[in-house]
Amino acid sequence: MAFGVLVERYQRRVVGVALAVVHNQDDAIELAQETFVRAYENLSKFESRSSFSTWLYRIAANLAIDFWRREGRHVVLRGEDAENEIGKLPTVEGDSFKEVSRLELSARLKQALEELTPEHRAVILLREVEGMSYDEISEVLQCPRGTVMSRLHYARTHLRTILKDVAGG
Amino acid sequence: MAECGEISMMLGAFEDSELEPNEMQEVAFHLARCESCTSILADYSTIGRDLRSIAAEPSLAGFSSAVIARIDRLPQPMLTRIKRFLGRQVDSVGAGIAWGGAAVAVAIMTIVMITPYADQFANRGPQSTAIAKAERAAAQAANQAADAAASEPTMADNDSHADISRLESENHSVAVWSEPRRDTTVIWLPDQP
Repeated sequence: MAFGVLVERYQRRVVGVALAVVHNQDDAIELAQETFVRAYENLSKFESRSSFSTWLYRIAANLAIDFWRREGRHVVLRGEDAENEIGKLPTVEGDSFKEVSRLELSARLKQALEELTPEHRAVILLREVEGMSYDEISEVLQCPRGTVMSRLHYARTHLRTILKDVAGG
Repeated sequence: MAECGEISMMLGAFEDSELEPNEMQEVAFHLARCESCTSILADYSTIGRDLRSIAAEPSLAGFSSAVIARIDRLPQPMLTRIKRFLGRQVDSVGAGIAWGGAAVAVAIMTIVMITPYADQFANRGPQSTAIAKAERAAAQAANQAADAAASEPTMADNDSHADISRLESENHSVAVWSEPRRDTTVIWLPDQP
């Protein structure tokens, strides 16, 4: 089947997008498979306004975010609520945490990611792991570029704060 | 110089090279003089590196085949089902026509082989030589008889049909050949005693 070629081509990144949101491999793979099935069913609706890959990643992101909300593991912060959260974070300045045990940092980083909302986790993982540009993230998550920037700022500040705590502790 | 609070909002985008050129310049000037913001930027860079290092690489063995299997299990739209049904019917009809044609061909062959038509084909073989010789001999004898009859004028000169009828009624050994190829009718009469 010709569609199999498309699956082979985009599977890794579609799983990456789903993983960025749900942060669980099994769930991400299941959601990625569902993404391709949905894409197959809706191929006739695909318009060339965006690239096929962006359309595919958007389906994956929507499915993953819906999944995460259904699971109800976290409170989702939107718009100004998310912005306000940034202000509540303790301001951490001073030395870098380079010297802290890398193993400990990695473990703490994973935990810190879990504490992020799916929207914030998604933007930082799509940026740092998947290497997407702000515009790409904006298209995939269907939010303005400014929101991508603010979510990234929040996610980075949050992660840095938590990691600083580890370094300080 | 811009305040740290203002610059800190742009540090991440600076790290990602997603600022406008004038903003990139502004942040760069600030970083040249601010250790605190430089430290934050370094931490962002470390966080990015660590995130990439802990990113799990899921095993995708069998992924695409699982997707295709799920697609195959999808209920087909009505239009597709109708098309497939019609396609199967057309295939069946086509096969039926082919089998029927073959059956008709076999029947024709059989009829040709078991009926007198077969003789026409058989006569073209080597066996026909002897028959042809016999025919030629008979024709020769008939010609001789006809010549003899011609030398003795009878009623047949005026009405050969009546003469033949008469001969046939009186003598059963009269023979008549029709040779369509030569457009000739040969009448054989036995020698008169």
